[in-house]
Amino acid sequence: MAFLEVHNLTKDFGGLRANSNITFSAKRGELIGLIGPNGAGKTTLFNCISGLHPVTSGRIIFDAEDITKLKAHEVAQRGLARTFQVYVASGDLTVIENVMVGCFMRTHLRSRAKARASEILKDLSIDDTADYLVTELPVAAQKRVTMATAIASDPKLLLLDEVAAGLNPNEIDEIMASIRHVHDDMGITVMLIEHVMELVMKISHRVIVLDYGEKIAEGDPEAISKDPRVIKAYLGERYVQEHEGGIVGSKE
Amino acid sequence: MEAIRNALDFSDFPRLDLIVAGSVGIAFIIFPLFPHSSFAMSTMIQFLMFSLYGMGWNTIGGYGGQVDLGKAQYVGIGAYTTAVMLILWDVPFWVSMPIGMCFSVVWSFIIGYPLFRLKGHYFAIATIATSLVLKDIFEVWDFVGAARGLEISPIKYHPPDFLRLIFKEDVYYFYVILGFFFLGVLYMNWFRKSRLGFQLRSIKDNEDVARSLGINVHWAKVKTYAIATAFVSMVGSFHACYIKSIEPEDTMSLDISILIALMAMLGGAGSLWGPIIGAGILIPLKSYLKEWLGAQAGMVGIDLILYALIIMVISAFEPRGVWGIVEKIRRRKRN
Repeated sequence: MAFLEVHNLTKDFGGLRANSNITFSAKRGELIGLIGPNGAGKTTLFNCISGLHPVTSGRIIFDAEDITKLKAHEVAQRGLARTFQVYVASGDLTVIENVMVGCFMRTHLRSRAKARASEILKDLSIDDTADYLVTELPVAAQKRVTMATAIASDPKLLLLDEVAAGLNPNEIDEIMASIRHVHDDMGITVMLIEHVMELVMKISHRVIVLDYGEKIAEGDPEAISKDPRVIKAYLGERYVQEHEGGIVGSKE
Repeated sequence: MEAIRNALDFSDFPRLDLIVAGSVGIAFIIFPLFPHSSFAMSTMIQFLMFSLYGMGWNTIGGYGGQVDLGKAQYVGIGAYTTAVMLILWDVPFWVSMPIGMCFSVVWSFIIGYPLFRLKGHYFAIATIATSLVLKDIFEVWDFVGAARGLEISPIKYHPPDFLRLIFKEDVYYFYVILGFFFLGVLYMNWFRKSRLGFQLRSIKDNEDVARSLGINVHWAKVKTYAIATAFVSMVGSFHACYIKSIEPEDTMSLDISILIALMAMLGGAGSLWGPIIGAGILIPLKSYLKEWLGAQAGMVGIDLILYALIIMVISAFEPRGVWGIVEKIRRRKRN
Protein backbone atom coordinates (compact mmCIF):
# COMPACT_ATOMS: atom_id res chain seq x y z
CA MET A 1 0.00 0.00 0.00
CA ALA A 2 1.31 3.39 -1.00
CA PHE A 3 2.04 6.15 1.50
CA LEU A 4 -0.57 8.52 0.12
CA GLU A 5 -3.41 7.24 -2.02
CA VAL A 6 -6.09 9.38 -3.59
CA HIS A 7 -8.92 7.39 -5.13
CA ASN A 8 -11.43 8.92 -7.53
CA LEU A 9 -11.46 12.21 -5.72
CA THR A 10 -14.17 14.61 -6.84
CA LYS A 11 -14.85 18.04 -5.39
CA ASP A 12 -17.80 20.23 -6.42
CA PHE A 13 -18.37 23.82 -5.44
CA GLY A 14 -22.05 24.22 -6.19
CA GLY A 15 -22.27 23.56 -9.92
CA LEU A 16 -18.54 23.84 -10.48
CA ARG A 17 -16.48 20.67 -10.55
CA ALA A 18 -13.06 21.70 -9.25
CA ASN A 19 -11.59 18.21 -9.03
CA SER A 20 -12.94 15.42 -11.14
CA ASN A 21 -12.23 11.79 -10.45
CA ILE A 22 -8.56 12.24 -9.60
CA THR A 23 -6.58 9.13 -8.72
CA PHE A 24 -2.90 9.01 -7.86
CA SER A 25 -0.57 7.71 -5.22
CA ALA A 26 2.74 8.65 -3.69
CA LYS A 27 5.41 6.43 -2.22
CA ARG A 28 7.20 7.23 0.99
CA GLY A 29 10.20 9.39 0.23
CA GLU A 30 8.97 10.60 -3.13
CA LEU A 31 9.07 14.18 -4.36
CA ILE A 32 6.09 14.90 -6.57
CA GLY A 33 5.36 17.99 -8.63
CA LEU A 34 1.80 19.09 -9.32
CA ILE A 35 1.40 21.44 -12.27
CA GLY A 36 -1.35 22.82 -14.44
CA PRO A 37 -2.84 26.11 -15.60
CA ASN A 38 -4.50 28.53 -13.19
CA GLY A 39 -7.86 27.25 -12.07
CA ALA A 40 -6.96 23.63 -12.82
CA GLY A 41 -7.80 22.60 -9.25
CA LYS A 42 -4.31 22.14 -7.80
CA THR A 43 -4.90 24.09 -4.60
CA THR A 44 -8.35 22.56 -4.25
CA LEU A 45 -6.73 19.15 -4.38
CA PHE A 46 -4.34 20.19 -1.59
CA ASN A 47 -7.26 21.56 0.42
CA CYS A 48 -9.11 18.26 0.05
CA ILE A 49 -6.11 16.15 1.03
CA SER A 50 -5.34 18.32 4.06
CA GLY A 51 -8.96 18.21 5.19
CA LEU A 52 -9.86 21.88 4.78
CA HIS A 53 -12.48 21.02 2.15
CA PRO A 54 -14.81 18.06 2.62
CA VAL A 55 -14.64 15.97 -0.54
CA THR A 56 -17.72 15.36 -2.66
CA SER A 57 -16.73 11.78 -3.35
CA GLY A 58 -13.66 9.60 -3.36
CA ARG A 59 -11.22 8.41 -0.75
CA ILE A 60 -7.90 9.58 0.63
CA ILE A 61 -5.62 7.13 2.40
CA PHE A 62 -2.59 8.46 4.25
CA ASP A 63 -0.09 6.16 5.93
CA ALA A 64 -2.51 3.23 5.90
CA GLU A 65 -5.35 5.23 7.38
CA ASP A 66 -8.48 6.57 5.70
CA ILE A 67 -8.36 10.32 6.32
CA THR A 68 -11.18 11.31 3.96
CA LYS A 69 -13.59 12.24 6.73
CA LEU A 70 -11.07 13.69 9.18
CA LYS A 71 -11.01 17.36 10.06
CA ALA A 72 -8.03 19.49 9.06
CA HIS A 73 -6.45 19.57 12.51
CA GLU A 74 -6.77 15.79 12.82
CA VAL A 75 -5.11 15.31 9.45
CA ALA A 76 -2.32 17.64 10.52
CA GLN A 77 -1.81 15.72 13.75
CA ARG A 78 -1.30 12.55 11.74
CA GLY A 79 1.73 14.10 10.11
CA LEU A 80 0.50 15.90 7.03
CA ALA A 81 1.68 19.52 6.89
CA ARG A 82 1.18 22.16 4.24
CA THR A 83 1.91 25.73 3.25
CA PHE A 84 -0.48 28.20 1.70
CA GLN A 85 -0.22 30.04 -1.57
CA VAL A 86 -1.07 33.57 -0.47
CA TYR A 87 -0.61 33.34 3.25
CA VAL A 88 2.91 33.70 4.55
CA ALA A 89 2.87 33.84 8.33
CA SER A 90 1.24 35.77 11.11
CA GLY A 91 2.28 39.42 10.97
CA ASP A 92 1.75 39.91 14.71
CA LEU A 93 4.24 37.21 15.62
CA THR A 94 7.99 37.17 15.26
CA VAL A 95 9.61 34.59 13.03
CA ILE A 96 10.47 32.23 15.87
CA GLU A 97 7.00 32.59 17.40
CA ASN A 98 5.45 31.62 14.08
CA VAL A 99 7.56 28.49 13.94
CA MET A 100 6.77 27.73 17.59
CA VAL A 101 3.05 27.52 16.75
CA GLY A 102 3.98 24.55 14.57
CA CYS A 103 6.20 23.04 17.28
CA PHE A 104 3.39 23.26 19.84
CA MET A 105 1.58 20.52 17.94
CA ARG A 106 4.02 17.99 19.38
CA THR A 107 4.72 19.43 22.81
CA HIS A 108 3.01 21.38 25.57
CA LEU A 109 6.26 22.83 26.88
CA ARG A 110 7.31 26.25 25.75
CA SER A 111 10.98 25.54 26.36
CA ARG A 112 10.89 22.49 24.12
CA ALA A 113 8.91 24.31 21.42
CA LYS A 114 11.39 27.16 21.46
CA ALA A 115 14.43 24.89 21.27
CA ARG A 116 12.94 22.95 18.37
CA ALA A 117 11.99 26.17 16.56
CA SER A 118 15.53 27.56 16.79
CA GLU A 119 16.85 24.27 15.48
CA ILE A 120 14.59 24.45 12.45
CA LEU A 121 15.43 28.10 11.78
CA LYS A 122 19.11 27.21 11.84
CA ASP A 123 18.44 24.29 9.53
CA LEU A 124 16.82 26.53 6.94
CA SER A 125 19.51 29.19 7.59
CA ILE A 126 17.11 31.91 8.71
CA ASP A 127 18.09 31.90 12.38
CA ASP A 128 19.41 35.47 12.11
CA THR A 129 15.84 36.66 11.50
CA ALA A 130 14.34 34.92 14.56
CA ASP A 131 13.22 38.04 16.42
CA TYR A 132 11.94 40.03 13.45
CA LEU A 133 8.32 40.34 12.48
CA VAL A 134 7.63 38.37 9.33
CA THR A 135 6.44 41.53 7.59
CA GLU A 136 9.90 43.06 8.06
CA LEU A 137 11.59 40.35 5.96
CA PRO A 138 12.15 40.11 2.20
CA VAL A 139 9.86 37.74 0.29
CA ALA A 140 12.42 34.96 -0.02
CA ALA A 141 12.92 34.83 3.74
CA GLN A 142 9.17 34.94 4.31
CA LYS A 143 8.76 31.85 2.13
CA ARG A 144 11.29 30.03 4.28
CA VAL A 145 9.41 30.98 7.41
CA THR A 146 6.30 29.42 5.88
CA MET A 147 8.24 26.24 5.21
CA ALA A 148 9.82 26.29 8.65
CA THR A 149 6.40 26.60 10.32
CA ALA A 150 5.06 23.69 8.29
CA ILE A 151 7.94 21.35 9.07
CA ALA A 152 7.98 22.41 12.74
CA SER A 153 5.38 19.77 13.52
CA ASP A 154 7.68 17.00 12.25
CA PRO A 155 5.39 15.92 9.41
CA LYS A 156 5.75 12.82 7.28
CA LEU A 157 4.27 14.47 4.23
CA LEU A 158 4.63 18.12 3.26
CA LEU A 159 2.43 19.86 0.70
CA LEU A 160 4.04 23.02 -0.66
CA ASP A 161 1.78 25.46 -2.48
CA GLU A 162 3.85 27.74 -4.73
CA VAL A 163 6.76 28.47 -2.41
CA ALA A 164 8.85 29.80 -5.30
CA ALA A 165 6.32 32.29 -6.64
CA GLY A 166 7.69 35.81 -6.88
CA LEU A 167 11.33 34.87 -6.31
CA ASN A 168 14.29 35.77 -8.52
CA PRO A 169 16.51 33.03 -10.05
CA ASN A 170 19.03 33.11 -7.21
CA GLU A 171 16.34 32.85 -4.60
CA ILE A 172 14.72 30.02 -6.53
CA ASP A 173 18.00 28.11 -6.34
CA GLU A 174 18.12 28.70 -2.59
CA ILE A 175 14.56 27.58 -1.96
CA MET A 176 15.21 24.57 -4.15
CA ALA A 177 18.15 23.68 -1.94
CA SER A 178 15.89 24.06 1.11
CA ILE A 179 13.27 21.77 -0.40
CA ARG A 180 15.96 19.21 -1.19
CA HIS A 181 17.25 19.49 2.36
CA VAL A 182 13.78 18.91 3.78
CA HIS A 183 13.27 15.96 1.48
CA ASP A 184 16.69 14.31 1.47
CA ASP A 185 18.00 15.02 4.95
CA MET A 186 14.85 15.20 7.02
CA GLY A 187 13.22 12.35 5.16
CA ILE A 188 9.95 14.12 4.52
CA THR A 189 7.89 13.14 1.51
CA VAL A 190 7.13 16.27 -0.49
CA MET A 191 4.42 17.21 -2.94
CA LEU A 192 4.60 20.66 -4.48
CA ILE A 193 2.46 22.90 -6.62
CA GLU A 194 4.62 25.17 -8.69
CA HIS A 195 4.53 27.36 -11.76
CA VAL A 196 8.29 27.75 -11.85
CA MET A 197 9.12 24.95 -14.27
CA GLU A 198 12.87 25.26 -13.68
CA LEU A 199 12.22 24.13 -10.13
CA VAL A 200 9.55 21.48 -10.69
CA MET A 201 11.28 19.74 -13.54
CA LYS A 202 14.62 19.76 -11.79
CA ILE A 203 13.69 18.30 -8.43
CA SER A 204 10.54 16.23 -8.94
CA HIS A 205 10.77 12.48 -9.22
CA ARG A 206 7.37 12.46 -10.79
CA VAL A 207 5.01 15.13 -12.11
CA ILE A 208 1.23 15.11 -12.11
CA VAL A 209 -0.61 17.48 -14.44
CA LEU A 210 -4.11 18.80 -13.84
CA ASP A 211 -6.29 20.63 -16.32
CA TYR A 212 -9.91 21.65 -15.76
CA GLY A 213 -9.98 19.59 -12.59
CA GLU A 214 -8.85 16.38 -14.26
CA LYS A 215 -5.57 14.57 -14.20
CA ILE A 216 -4.36 14.69 -17.79
CA ALA A 217 -0.88 13.26 -17.36
CA GLU A 218 1.50 11.69 -14.90
CA GLY A 219 5.09 10.64 -15.32
CA ASP A 220 8.73 11.56 -14.88
CA PRO A 221 9.66 15.17 -15.71
CA GLU A 222 11.18 14.30 -19.04
CA ALA A 223 8.15 12.45 -20.32
CA ILE A 224 5.83 15.18 -19.03
CA SER A 225 7.70 17.94 -20.83
CA LYS A 226 7.27 16.04 -24.09
CA ASP A 227 3.66 15.03 -23.58
CA PRO A 228 1.63 16.75 -26.32
CA ARG A 229 -1.43 17.16 -24.08
CA VAL A 230 0.60 18.88 -21.36
CA ILE A 231 2.26 21.14 -23.91
CA LYS A 232 -1.12 22.10 -25.32
CA ALA A 233 -2.81 22.66 -21.98
CA TYR A 234 -0.02 24.27 -20.00
CA LEU A 235 3.61 24.38 -21.05
CA GLY A 236 3.11 25.84 -24.52
CA GLU A 237 5.24 25.40 -27.65
CA ARG A 238 7.65 28.14 -26.68
CA TYR A 239 8.61 26.43 -23.46
CA VAL A 240 9.48 23.25 -25.32
CA GLN A 241 11.61 25.08 -27.87
CA GLU A 242 13.46 27.12 -25.28
CA HIS A 243 14.22 24.16 -23.12
CA GLU A 244 15.04 21.61 -25.81
CA GLY A 245 17.19 19.18 -23.86
CA GLY A 246 17.69 21.98 -21.32
CA ILE A 247 16.54 21.96 -17.76
CA VAL A 248 15.46 18.38 -17.53
CA GLY A 249 18.88 17.30 -18.70
CA SER A 250 20.57 19.26 -15.96
CA LYS A 251 18.84 17.32 -13.23
CA GLU A 252 21.36 16.20 -10.65
CA MET B 1 6.92 23.56 37.14
CA GLU B 2 7.72 25.19 33.85
CA ALA B 3 4.35 26.94 33.96
CA ILE B 4 5.29 28.64 37.23
CA ARG B 5 8.67 29.62 35.87
CA ASN B 6 7.04 31.10 32.78
CA ALA B 7 4.52 33.01 34.87
CA LEU B 8 7.30 34.60 36.92
CA ASP B 9 9.58 35.24 33.97
CA PHE B 10 9.21 38.73 32.51
CA SER B 11 12.67 38.78 30.99
CA ASP B 12 11.49 39.15 27.40
CA PHE B 13 10.28 42.68 28.14
CA PRO B 14 12.65 45.62 27.70
CA ARG B 15 14.16 46.87 30.95
CA LEU B 16 12.22 50.13 30.77
CA ASP B 17 8.92 48.21 30.86
CA LEU B 18 10.00 46.29 33.91
CA ILE B 19 11.11 49.41 35.76
CA VAL B 20 7.82 51.17 34.98
CA ALA B 21 5.72 48.09 35.81
CA GLY B 22 7.67 47.49 39.03
CA SER B 23 7.34 51.09 40.20
CA VAL B 24 3.64 51.15 39.41
CA GLY B 25 3.21 47.89 41.30
CA ILE B 26 4.98 49.28 44.35
CA ALA B 27 3.00 52.52 44.08
CA PHE B 28 -0.20 50.45 44.23
CA ILE B 29 0.98 48.64 47.33
CA ILE B 30 1.86 51.78 49.27
CA PHE B 31 -0.97 53.92 47.88
CA PRO B 32 -3.23 53.55 50.98
CA LEU B 33 -0.43 54.82 53.24
CA PHE B 34 -0.71 58.27 51.72
CA PRO B 35 -3.58 60.62 52.40
CA HIS B 36 -6.33 60.08 49.87
CA SER B 37 -9.98 60.83 49.43
CA SER B 38 -12.53 58.02 49.58
CA PHE B 39 -13.32 58.94 45.99
CA ALA B 40 -9.73 58.22 44.95
CA MET B 41 -9.83 54.92 46.84
CA SER B 42 -13.03 53.74 45.21
CA THR B 43 -11.71 54.79 41.79
CA MET B 44 -8.59 52.77 42.48
CA ILE B 45 -10.62 49.69 43.41
CA GLN B 46 -12.76 50.11 40.31
CA PHE B 47 -9.61 50.41 38.25
CA LEU B 48 -8.20 47.16 39.62
CA MET B 49 -11.51 45.37 39.09
CA PHE B 50 -11.80 46.53 35.53
CA SER B 51 -8.15 45.67 34.84
CA LEU B 52 -9.01 42.11 35.80
CA TYR B 53 -12.16 42.09 33.68
CA GLY B 54 -10.02 43.39 30.84
CA MET B 55 -7.36 40.71 31.35
CA GLY B 56 -10.07 38.06 31.15
CA TRP B 57 -11.49 39.62 28.01
CA ASN B 58 -8.00 39.89 26.56
CA THR B 59 -7.54 36.10 26.45
CA ILE B 60 -10.36 35.45 24.02
CA GLY B 61 -10.84 38.95 22.63
CA GLY B 62 -7.25 40.13 22.42
CA TYR B 63 -5.11 37.08 21.79
CA GLY B 64 -7.92 35.15 20.11
CA GLY B 65 -9.42 38.07 18.20
CA GLN B 66 -13.00 37.04 19.04
CA VAL B 67 -14.77 40.27 19.90
CA ASP B 68 -16.87 39.35 22.89
CA LEU B 69 -19.43 41.93 23.99
CA GLY B 70 -21.21 39.80 26.58
CA LYS B 71 -18.82 39.62 29.48
CA ALA B 72 -21.29 41.35 31.86
CA GLN B 73 -23.38 38.18 32.12
CA TYR B 74 -20.50 36.56 33.98
CA VAL B 75 -20.08 39.53 36.29
CA GLY B 76 -23.73 38.86 37.12
CA ILE B 77 -23.35 35.12 37.62
CA GLY B 78 -20.38 35.62 39.93
CA ALA B 79 -21.99 38.45 41.88
CA TYR B 80 -25.34 36.71 42.30
CA THR B 81 -23.82 33.39 43.29
CA THR B 82 -21.82 35.00 46.06
CA ALA B 83 -24.66 37.25 47.22
CA VAL B 84 -27.32 34.52 47.25
CA MET B 85 -25.08 32.03 49.03
CA LEU B 86 -24.04 34.58 51.62
CA ILE B 87 -27.52 35.89 52.33
CA LEU B 88 -29.36 32.57 52.39
CA TRP B 89 -26.79 30.14 53.73
CA ASP B 90 -24.02 32.32 55.12
CA VAL B 91 -21.47 30.78 52.76
CA PRO B 92 -18.08 32.56 52.91
CA PHE B 93 -16.76 34.42 49.91
CA TRP B 94 -13.81 32.08 49.47
CA VAL B 95 -16.22 29.18 48.93
CA SER B 96 -18.87 30.94 46.91
CA MET B 97 -16.36 32.57 44.57
CA PRO B 98 -15.06 29.27 43.13
CA ILE B 99 -18.61 27.94 42.98
CA GLY B 100 -19.61 31.04 41.04
CA MET B 101 -16.68 30.46 38.72
CA CYS B 102 -17.88 26.90 38.14
CA PHE B 103 -21.39 28.12 37.32
CA SER B 104 -19.94 30.68 34.95
CA VAL B 105 -17.71 28.16 33.23
CA VAL B 106 -20.59 25.71 32.79
CA TRP B 107 -22.74 28.50 31.36
CA SER B 108 -19.87 29.56 29.11
CA PHE B 109 -19.67 26.06 27.66
CA ILE B 110 -23.41 25.95 27.10
CA ILE B 111 -23.45 29.19 25.14
CA GLY B 112 -19.85 29.11 23.86
CA TYR B 113 -20.20 25.78 22.12
CA PRO B 114 -22.87 26.93 19.65
CA LEU B 115 -21.74 30.58 19.58
CA PHE B 116 -18.28 29.82 18.29
CA ARG B 117 -19.83 28.37 15.15
CA LEU B 118 -20.35 32.06 14.34
CA LYS B 119 -17.63 34.42 13.24
CA GLY B 120 -16.76 38.10 13.41
CA HIS B 121 -19.68 40.48 13.84
CA TYR B 122 -22.19 37.66 14.13
CA PHE B 123 -20.32 36.30 17.09
CA ALA B 124 -20.14 39.74 18.72
CA ILE B 125 -23.87 40.30 18.30
CA ALA B 126 -24.70 36.84 19.62
CA THR B 127 -22.67 37.48 22.79
CA ILE B 128 -24.61 40.69 23.38
CA ALA B 129 -27.86 38.81 22.93
CA THR B 130 -27.06 36.02 25.39
CA SER B 131 -25.96 38.55 27.99
CA LEU B 132 -29.15 40.56 27.64
CA VAL B 133 -31.33 37.46 27.79
CA LEU B 134 -29.68 36.41 31.04
CA LYS B 135 -30.19 39.90 32.44
CA ASP B 136 -33.89 39.76 31.52
CA ILE B 137 -34.23 36.41 33.25
CA PHE B 138 -32.67 37.79 36.43
CA GLU B 139 -34.96 40.82 36.28
CA VAL B 140 -38.06 38.64 36.66
CA TRP B 141 -36.60 35.87 38.81
CA ASP B 142 -37.99 36.32 42.32
CA PHE B 143 -35.50 33.99 43.97
CA VAL B 144 -32.70 36.49 43.23
CA GLY B 145 -34.82 39.52 44.05
CA ALA B 146 -35.92 40.22 40.48
CA ALA B 147 -35.36 43.81 39.39
CA ARG B 148 -34.91 45.03 42.98
CA GLY B 149 -31.83 42.88 43.29
CA LEU B 150 -30.17 41.71 46.48
CA GLU B 151 -28.77 43.55 49.44
CA ILE B 152 -26.01 42.31 51.69
CA SER B 153 -26.62 43.98 55.03
CA PRO B 154 -23.30 44.59 56.79
CA ILE B 155 -25.02 44.93 60.19
CA LYS B 156 -25.42 41.16 60.40
CA TYR B 157 -21.68 40.64 60.27
CA HIS B 158 -18.73 41.78 62.29
CA PRO B 159 -16.34 43.64 60.05
CA PRO B 160 -13.55 43.14 59.32
CA ASP B 161 -14.81 39.71 58.29
CA PHE B 162 -12.11 38.20 56.10
CA LEU B 163 -14.04 34.99 55.45
CA ARG B 164 -17.13 36.68 54.09
CA LEU B 165 -15.22 39.67 52.76
CA ILE B 166 -17.32 42.19 54.68
CA PHE B 167 -15.35 45.30 55.63
CA LYS B 168 -16.16 48.80 56.77
CA GLU B 169 -13.05 50.42 55.32
CA ASP B 170 -12.31 50.31 51.62
CA VAL B 171 -8.63 49.72 52.25
CA TYR B 172 -9.29 46.01 52.99
CA TYR B 173 -11.11 45.62 49.71
CA PHE B 174 -8.26 47.41 48.03
CA TYR B 175 -5.68 44.92 49.23
CA VAL B 176 -7.85 41.91 48.40
CA ILE B 177 -8.41 43.05 44.84
CA LEU B 178 -4.77 44.10 44.52
CA GLY B 179 -3.81 40.54 45.40
CA PHE B 180 -6.12 39.24 42.68
CA PHE B 181 -4.64 41.81 40.34
CA PHE B 182 -1.07 40.60 40.84
CA LEU B 183 -2.16 36.98 40.44
CA GLY B 184 -4.01 38.01 37.30
CA VAL B 185 -0.88 39.59 35.84
CA LEU B 186 1.13 36.44 36.59
CA TYR B 187 -1.55 34.26 35.05
CA MET B 188 -1.68 36.38 31.91
CA ASN B 189 2.11 36.35 31.70
CA TRP B 190 1.92 32.58 31.66
CA PHE B 191 -1.01 32.53 29.27
CA ARG B 192 0.61 34.64 26.57
CA LYS B 193 3.53 32.21 26.46
CA SER B 194 1.50 29.03 26.73
CA ARG B 195 0.58 26.62 23.99
CA LEU B 196 -3.01 27.85 24.11
CA GLY B 197 -1.82 31.46 23.84
CA PHE B 198 0.18 30.68 20.71
CA GLN B 199 -2.68 28.70 19.24
CA LEU B 200 -5.06 31.61 19.76
CA ARG B 201 -2.74 34.08 18.11
CA SER B 202 -2.54 31.76 15.15
CA ILE B 203 -6.34 31.44 15.08
CA LYS B 204 -6.74 35.21 15.19
CA ASP B 205 -4.50 35.52 12.19
CA ASN B 206 -5.93 32.83 9.93
CA GLU B 207 -8.16 29.94 10.99
CA ASP B 208 -7.41 27.68 8.02
CA VAL B 209 -3.70 27.98 8.65
CA ALA B 210 -4.27 27.29 12.34
CA ARG B 211 -6.19 24.12 11.43
CA SER B 212 -3.44 22.94 9.16
CA LEU B 213 -1.03 23.35 12.08
CA GLY B 214 -3.07 20.80 14.01
CA ILE B 215 -5.07 23.25 16.12
CA ASN B 216 -8.63 22.34 16.99
CA VAL B 217 -9.91 25.86 16.42
CA HIS B 218 -13.39 25.46 17.86
CA TRP B 219 -12.24 23.74 21.02
CA ALA B 220 -9.41 26.23 21.58
CA LYS B 221 -11.93 29.07 21.42
CA VAL B 222 -14.42 27.40 23.74
CA LYS B 223 -11.67 26.64 26.26
CA THR B 224 -10.32 30.17 26.22
CA TYR B 225 -13.80 31.63 26.50
CA ALA B 226 -14.18 29.60 29.70
CA ILE B 227 -10.90 31.01 31.06
CA ALA B 228 -12.01 34.56 30.29
CA THR B 229 -15.29 33.79 31.98
CA ALA B 230 -13.66 32.49 35.14
CA PHE B 231 -11.67 35.72 35.47
CA VAL B 232 -14.74 37.90 35.10
CA SER B 233 -16.84 35.76 37.42
CA MET B 234 -14.20 35.93 40.14
CA VAL B 235 -14.24 39.71 40.11
CA GLY B 236 -18.03 39.65 39.90
CA SER B 237 -18.09 37.79 43.22
CA PHE B 238 -15.81 40.44 44.69
CA HIS B 239 -18.12 43.12 43.32
CA ALA B 240 -21.02 41.66 45.31
CA CYS B 241 -19.15 41.88 48.62
CA TYR B 242 -17.69 45.28 47.83
CA ILE B 243 -20.79 47.08 46.58
CA LYS B 244 -23.13 45.00 48.81
CA SER B 245 -26.13 45.86 46.70
CA ILE B 246 -26.53 44.21 43.35
CA GLU B 247 -29.22 44.40 40.75
CA PRO B 248 -29.37 43.15 37.16
CA GLU B 249 -29.05 46.65 35.77
CA ASP B 250 -25.69 47.47 37.30
CA THR B 251 -24.04 44.05 37.04
CA MET B 252 -25.23 42.75 33.69
CA SER B 253 -25.98 45.78 31.54
CA LEU B 254 -24.56 46.24 28.07
CA ASP B 255 -22.53 49.27 29.25
CA ILE B 256 -20.34 47.02 31.36
CA SER B 257 -19.76 44.54 28.57
CA ILE B 258 -18.80 47.32 26.21
CA LEU B 259 -16.61 49.05 28.77
CA ILE B 260 -14.68 45.83 29.41
CA ALA B 261 -14.00 45.27 25.72
CA LEU B 262 -13.29 48.92 25.07
CA MET B 263 -10.71 49.21 27.82
CA ALA B 264 -8.73 46.27 26.55
CA MET B 265 -8.88 47.57 23.00
CA LEU B 266 -7.90 51.09 24.00
CA GLY B 267 -4.91 49.90 26.00
CA GLY B 268 -3.88 47.29 23.46
CA ALA B 269 -5.71 44.05 22.79
CA GLY B 270 -3.43 41.03 22.74
CA SER B 271 -0.74 42.47 24.98
CA LEU B 272 -0.01 41.91 28.64
CA TRP B 273 -0.15 45.56 29.70
CA GLY B 274 -2.96 46.62 27.36
CA PRO B 275 -6.00 46.04 29.57
CA ILE B 276 -4.26 47.65 32.55
CA ILE B 277 -3.35 50.75 30.57
CA GLY B 278 -6.86 50.89 29.13
CA ALA B 279 -8.47 50.63 32.55
CA GLY B 280 -6.01 53.19 33.88
CA ILE B 281 -7.21 55.68 31.29
CA LEU B 282 -10.92 54.95 31.14
CA ILE B 283 -11.88 54.27 34.75
CA PRO B 284 -10.61 57.55 36.26
CA LEU B 285 -12.05 59.38 33.26
CA LYS B 286 -15.40 57.72 33.78
CA SER B 287 -15.43 58.39 37.53
CA TYR B 288 -14.50 62.06 37.17
CA LEU B 289 -16.93 62.61 34.35
CA LYS B 290 -19.67 61.11 36.45
CA GLU B 291 -18.67 63.27 39.42
CA TRP B 292 -18.40 66.55 37.55
CA LEU B 293 -20.80 66.33 34.67
CA GLY B 294 -23.26 63.75 35.87
CA ALA B 295 -24.59 66.11 38.51
CA GLN B 296 -25.62 68.61 35.88
CA ALA B 297 -28.91 67.91 34.19
CA GLY B 298 -28.68 66.81 30.59
CA MET B 299 -25.08 65.64 30.85
CA VAL B 300 -25.80 62.11 32.04
CA GLY B 301 -25.06 60.29 28.78
CA ILE B 302 -21.84 62.12 28.08
CA ASP B 303 -19.60 59.16 28.96
CA LEU B 304 -21.34 57.04 26.33
CA ILE B 305 -20.58 59.64 23.69
CA LEU B 306 -16.99 59.57 24.84
CA TYR B 307 -16.81 55.75 24.47
CA ALA B 308 -18.17 55.99 20.95
CA LEU B 309 -15.54 58.59 20.13
CA ILE B 310 -12.77 56.39 21.51
CA ILE B 311 -13.96 53.39 19.48
CA MET B 312 -13.85 55.47 16.32
CA VAL B 313 -10.41 56.90 17.05
CA ILE B 314 -8.91 53.47 17.82
CA SER B 315 -10.33 51.77 14.77
CA ALA B 316 -9.26 54.63 12.51
CA PHE B 317 -5.72 55.20 13.76
CA GLU B 318 -4.29 52.30 15.68
CA PRO B 319 -6.33 49.11 16.06
CA ARG B 320 -3.74 47.82 18.50
CA GLY B 321 -4.37 50.62 20.94
CA VAL B 322 -1.96 52.56 23.12
CA TRP B 323 0.40 49.62 23.43
CA GLY B 324 0.37 49.23 19.66
CA ILE B 325 1.68 52.79 19.36
CA VAL B 326 4.45 52.10 21.88
CA GLU B 327 5.53 48.98 20.00
CA LYS B 328 5.45 50.76 16.67
CA ILE B 329 7.76 53.48 17.95
CA ARG B 330 10.12 50.87 19.39
CA ARG B 331 10.34 48.94 16.15
CA ARG B 332 10.99 52.11 14.20
CA LYS B 333 13.83 52.98 16.54
CA ARG B 334 15.37 49.54 16.28
CA ASN B 335 15.28 49.23 12.50
